[in-house]
Amino acid sequence: MDRETVEKVARSAHLKLTEEELEIFSRDLGDILGYFAMLDEAPDCEGFGIDPIGVADVLRDDEPYMELEPDALLQGMDTYDNYVRGPRLL
Amino acid sequence: MKIGLEVHVQLPTKSKLFCPCPTTDAPAPNTHVCPVCLGLPGARPMMNGKAIEYGILLAKMLGCTVRDTTWFARKIYFYPDNAKNFQITQYDRPLGEGGVYYLNGKKPIRITRIHIEEDPGKIKRVGDLSSLVDYNRSGIPLAEIVTEPDLSTPAEAREFLGQLIRDIRHTVDLPDDGERSIRCDCNLSVGTERCEVKNVTGLRNVERALTYEMVRQTKLLKAGGKVVRETRRFDEERGVTISVRKKEMEADYGYIDEPDLGIFNVKELADSLKIKESPHNMIIRLTKEYGIDDKTAKQFVSTSVDLAKLFEDLAAATDAETARTWTSGAISAGWRAFEARGVTDASEVVNIVRKFVDGEITDTECGLRIKAFLAGTDIDSVSAGSADLDAMISRYLDENPSVIDDYRKNDKAANRVIGHVMKQTGGAHSSADIVSATKRLIVERL
Amino acid sequence: MSHSSVLSSLSKINEKYRMFRTVTSETDAGDAKFLFSAKDNLTSKDMETCSGSRILEGYRPPFDATSIAKMREAGGLLVGKTNMDEFGFGTFSTNSAFGVPRNPYDLERSCGGSSGGAACAAAVMEGHVAIGVSTGGSICCPASFCGVYGVVPTYGRVSRYGLLDYGNSLDKIGIISSNASDLGKYVEIMAGADPRDPTSCVQPAIGARRKLKSVAVPGDATEGVSEDVKKAFKDGLEALKSMGVDVEKVEMPSLRYAIPAYYVIATSEASTNLARYCGMRYGHQDGDLSLKFDDYFTSFRSQYFGEETKRRILLGTFTRMVGFRDRYYSKARRVRQSIIEEYRSVLSGCDAVLTPTMPFVSPKFTDISKMTPVESYKADILTGPPNIAGMPHASMPCGYDRDGMPIGMQFVANHWDEGVLFSAAEEWEKNFDAVRPEVSI
Repeated sequence: MDRETVEKVARSAHLKLTEEELEIFSRDLGDILGYFAMLDEAPDCEGFGIDPIGVADVLRDDEPYMELEPDALLQGMDTYDNYVRGPRLL
Repeated sequence: MKIGLEVHVQLPTKSKLFCPCPTTDAPAPNTHVCPVCLGLPGARPMMNGKAIEYGILLAKMLGCTVRDTTWFARKIYFYPDNAKNFQITQYDRPLGEGGVYYLNGKKPIRITRIHIEEDPGKIKRVGDLSSLVDYNRSGIPLAEIVTEPDLSTPAEAREFLGQLIRDIRHTVDLPDDGERSIRCDCNLSVGTERCEVKNVTGLRNVERALTYEMVRQTKLLKAGGKVVRETRRFDEERGVTISVRKKEMEADYGYIDEPDLGIFNVKELADSLKIKESPHNMIIRLTKEYGIDDKTAKQFVSTSVDLAKLFEDLAAATDAETARTWTSGAISAGWRAFEARGVTDASEVVNIVRKFVDGEITDTECGLRIKAFLAGTDIDSVSAGSADLDAMISRYLDENPSVIDDYRKNDKAANRVIGHVMKQTGGAHSSADIVSATKRLIVERL
Repeated sequence: MSHSSVLSSLSKINEKYRMFRTVTSETDAGDAKFLFSAKDNLTSKDMETCSGSRILEGYRPPFDATSIAKMREAGGLLVGKTNMDEFGFGTFSTNSAFGVPRNPYDLERSCGGSSGGAACAAAVMEGHVAIGVSTGGSICCPASFCGVYGVVPTYGRVSRYGLLDYGNSLDKIGIISSNASDLGKYVEIMAGADPRDPTSCVQPAIGARRKLKSVAVPGDATEGVSEDVKKAFKDGLEALKSMGVDVEKVEMPSLRYAIPAYYVIATSEASTNLARYCGMRYGHQDGDLSLKFDDYFTSFRSQYFGEETKRRILLGTFTRMVGFRDRYYSKARRVRQSIIEEYRSVLSGCDAVLTPTMPFVSPKFTDISKMTPVESYKADILTGPPNIAGMPHASMPCGYDRDGMPIGMQFVANHWDEGVLFSAAEEWEKNFDAVRPEVSI
């Protein structure tokens, strides 16, 4: 895989790669996709499934409840005034 | 000019879309949260069946096709309010597709699709530095309705939205909470390239944002410039749209199907769910079926769908014209009082009018009986009250005979009488009563 | 050895084998009925949960995974969280950010992966029950390398609530133990519908133990497999025949596509699951908040994810991009369906499909470091097929090579048919002379 593509994919995945990593990954991903090319010749199949078993119509009743204390959930988080801190937007 | 809208409306479930956290207003930030809506590792979504029901109702209201199965997908984008950095939405198989919705019963607006998705959290900006995130809204169920670019002006877009929202509220019993629960992404193109104005809240702002965008693009093209495809946001205070980023290529979202929820066989449910006729469709049907004019039909329906239904019952028991006359007159006049009493069964009105049609009671007595029934009082006090009212109007007409002459030229002259009587009686009679009595007495003197 | 004396020796054992990321500070086992460990990608209220990744260092989950909660309810005492490849990304447990577990038969060799610490604990500690997790072979591979029994139940059998996801449509929670009878006993404790994991809510009950009567061996089952493994597998087949099991050959041509299809689905899903690790909410959160969010997230992810994790995120992000999604992600899922259909058709005529578990015995760390990613992915050639198909499967020790390294064989049963695997393991144990590793601390 060429370096530009690796860089583009990395940007989308929010990874910044070092020069060395770029080199390693463009070689490795090229190898791996080369191996995956055998999928092109795999016979096609009509079947469709998101999961390997049929998971269908598992629904929950619309009953509100809270199981865990929100405070306990926020315990390990960086918070301010009960808000969760995050980075700058613009 | 072409305008297409992506309308987000909150579905009125009691709990969130994928977790049981309540959807009511929270006492403080991050208090209606759980591992699922905070995106904690190891937690996974659980589908709220009611949200699917609401979604199907809206899909049917919009004339969309609901296929046998529907499922969910992950839309990946990184943002601090997006707890998992992916949003669970629908992609390959939305709940409904390919609908048509008629603006004012005439102009067809094609509906591309309707799907269900989760809302992200809310961000409060602090100074220029960090963001503060409240995940109380994270996981609130939304329906997204996407239209084809079939709207032609900003005003039409607003009209469309107004009608759509009324119909949605009626269909899913959405409480009227102003415009809070309505959010829109607006696409507009004057020439060949379009711009998207994201996240506009409320009808008025949609029209403002679109109008600004229309003028901006027109000017740009006239000056020989080119419209660049991009995402913009609307600055409510200044009334302008601002470029935020180049339209992300769809590739960035990298949709995959959501494996944790499985699929949903919704066809049977869709067939079994009956949608209530939307107010808008009811207006159209009333005009067609009973030959009443658009204005009257609108007045009935907007007063109350129950009033319009009573009109239909009356029409069935008598005839359309009789039903129209009495519904516009005495019944409308007393309707508010009737509703205020918390009573719902108005079938007695049909019996009263039948008696009039059969010649058992007079026109005046019929009116009085209707009034008495709706107000929940006896006929004598109503009779006395309306005699008082008639007397006051007659006295005014005696003292101001010019009103009759003026009325011949312009029926607005009646307003002088009405204004006077209202002031004198100070709310003892409903304005509808005063108006109808005044008109009746003037017409008698013409 | 009493439960309490096991507890007091944990740290010492761990010093030598590095099978645990965290061990309990408890020294008194009280009235615990049994001791168990859980792979470090299962949430536990009382112990840090990192999934082998530095990005989650210090994370204390506020809830127990359903599998752990059920084991505790049954009287189990959680003694530690076992070491693993970061987020399950590996075949040798060499991709852990917290040291590498050592094979009890030869400290210079791998325990296998990604549940390497779990298999190591099961091999070293008598009577220990280890909860493992398999996405593409992560239970059977280390079970085979460490000479113990490992079972992966049907996808959806054990609730994944509290499992830090690798590939949601592939992840399965199972058991590793040196006692064959533990497989059924503890899977039955963990199994069952859990409303917090919808995929667990469609399962039928686990059927009664059913005697294994026939197995099918794919024609190319030993293609590319080392001579030692071939020999041990052949011996295993003979032993099965002498136990009265019919052995037939079958052709399963779609299985050769399992590995590429598996890696496409697994990395596509993984790259979305790992998006949430970004320096907010959990794990390290000590970045410069004045950075724009894109840069802030990128800085954490680049600093704390290991090399294989980055590789798989890149791969999975690529295979679901517009322009490539159809060729990779969509095609891989159709290939999965044809593999499932092929298994179903073969398993309608026999009880299990049998192959060796791994194509070779556990390699030395020095050889692992020379392997390319494709070479190590291909090590999953035999464990990948049942995993992508969500079929229940088990690895059982069937021999040793000339250096005394254990070799395993893998039984694959039809969806929901764990019963035949449990009884097969129990029967097999009676007929197989296991050689336990020498453990000295």
